Amino acid sequence: MSKTYIVPSDINELNTLEDKLQLLKDIKRSFSVYRIDCGSCNGCEIEIFASITPMWDPERFGFKLVANPRHADILLCTGPLTRHMYYPLLRAYEAAPDPKIVIAYGACGCTGGIFHDSYSTWGGIDKVIPVDVWLPGCPPSPATTIFGLATAIGVLEQNLKRVDHKDGGVKPPVIEESFFGNTLFERDIVSKTKVLMGYLHGRILYKKYVDAVKKSTDIYNPVKVKYELIEAIKNESDPRYKECMQIIHNDVYLKHLKTYKSIDDTNPALSFTKEEMDEIYG
Amino acid sequence: MKLLDMTLKYGNATHDYPFSPYAVPEGFRGKPEYEYDLCIGCTACAVACPSNAMNVELNEAKDKLVWEFDCGRCIYCGRCDEVCPTGAIRLGQNFETAVRFNKEDLIETGELELEHCLKCNKAFTTKKLIAYCVQNFLKVGWTQEVIDEKTKYIQTCPECKKHDAAGLITDYKGARR
Repeated sequence: MSKTYIVPSDINELNTLEDKLQLLKDIKRSFSVYRIDCGSCNGCEIEIFASITPMWDPERFGFKLVANPRHADILLCTGPLTRHMYYPLLRAYEAAPDPKIVIAYGACGCTGGIFHDSYSTWGGIDKVIPVDVWLPGCPPSPATTIFGLATAIGVLEQNLKRVDHKDGGVKPPVIEESFFGNTLFERDIVSKTKVLMGYLHGRILYKKYVDAVKKSTDIYNPVKVKYELIEAIKNESDPRYKECMQIIHNDVYLKHLKTYKSIDDTNPALSFTKEEMDEIYG
Repeated sequence: MKLLDMTLKYGNATHDYPFSPYAVPEGFRGKPEYEYDLCIGCTACAVACPSNAMNVELNEAKDKLVWEFDCGRCIYCGRCDEVCPTGAIRLGQNFETAVRFNKEDLIETGELELEHCLKCNKAFTTKKLIAYCVQNFLKVGWTQEVIDEKTKYIQTCPECKKHDAAGLITDYKGARR
C-alpha cells in the first residue's frame, strides 16, 4: 500500500531507546497495558485473557489491562493490521503518553503471519508504527505471553538469536540399513502409517510395528511375524494402534513378502482376518 | 483450618512460570528446530509451509541455496515436520520466542551447496539432495545399470529433461522414415 505513516517529530523525539529504557526502569513493578485489536481473528485476545487469569496471574509483576490508551505504558497490538484498523491504531498510538512501548502480538502482529500477502492487510504492525517487542505464536500460549511481557519489561532476557548456518559440506545424512533388505519396505510402512494415523501418531505406530517385527527370529516367515504381532497387540492398550498394526501387516508386509517368495496372502494363517480385527473391540 | 487442609490436599493450581520452569504438555507444538547437518535442501518444507515462514532462495551471488525460517511468521501447524524426509525439522518444545528491539533475531538461515546440470551446467538443486538420492538408490536393490541411468537422470535439470523428451520424439519419427 502506498500511504505510510510518518511518526510526528515530537513523538519521535520522546521515544528514543534511552527514553524507553528509562521508562522500563520506572515502571518496573507496575505497568498498564492497552490492547489494540488491529483486525485479529480473536485467537490472540482469547490467549491474552487466558493469561491474565489467576492461574498465570501476571499481576505478580505488575501487569494490568487498562481501558484507555491515555493510561497505557505498553500497547499490545494484535492482528495483521487491516485497512480499516489503520486509523484507529494511529489514534491509539498518538494518544498514548510518551515514551511508549509497542508489542506486536502473535504471528500476525509480527509479520502478517498467514495474512502477510493479503490485499487488505498491511502485513504486520511494524510496517506502520515502530515496534519494540515481537511476540510470535499463532496464538502465543499463556506461557509465551508471560515470557514476552517479562522480556518487554526486562525481567527476563530473550533466548533467540539470529542463527546463520554455513559451510555444511556436501555429505548427506546416512540412511539407515534396511532390516528387510530393501528400503522400499520401510518407505511403504512410513507412507501407510501417515495415511492411517497422521504424521505424529504415525511415527509412534511405525516404531511399534517395526519393533514387533524385529522381535521375530525370521522376518521372512509370515507365520512367525504374525505370532509376534499378536503378542504386541495383546500388550497394546490403544485400539487404534492394534487395528493399524494389523492393516499394515496385511497391506504392506505381505505385499512385499510376495517379491521374495510365493505366498497366498488370503490364507488366514498368514494374514489377519476380519474376525480377528473385530475381536479387538471385544 | 479445614479450608487450609483442603487447599493443601489439592495442591497448587497456579503456575510460577517466569520464576520456575514450565513443563509443556505432551504434543505441544513449539518452535520448529532446524538440524542443519540433516538438511538436504529438498525444499519440501518451503512448499508445505502455508504462511511462507520457510523460504528457499538463491543467495545474492547465485552460488548457494539459502534456506530461511522466519519465526515471526510461523503458525506452528507442523506441516514442515510432517514432510521433512530426513528429520531436519522437528517441532520442539521451545515456547520462549519473544525478542526485544531486534526483529532479525527471529530469523534462522542455512546455506547449501548447489548442484549443476550435466548438460547445460545451470544450477538447479543442491549437491546434498543428489547425493542423498544416489545413496537411496543403492539400498533399493536395483542393478548397477539401472542405478547409473537413474543417477544421470537426476543430475539433469528439468529444462534439459523437457528438451530431451522432445528430442527423443523427433529422433524416433526420423528413424521411422
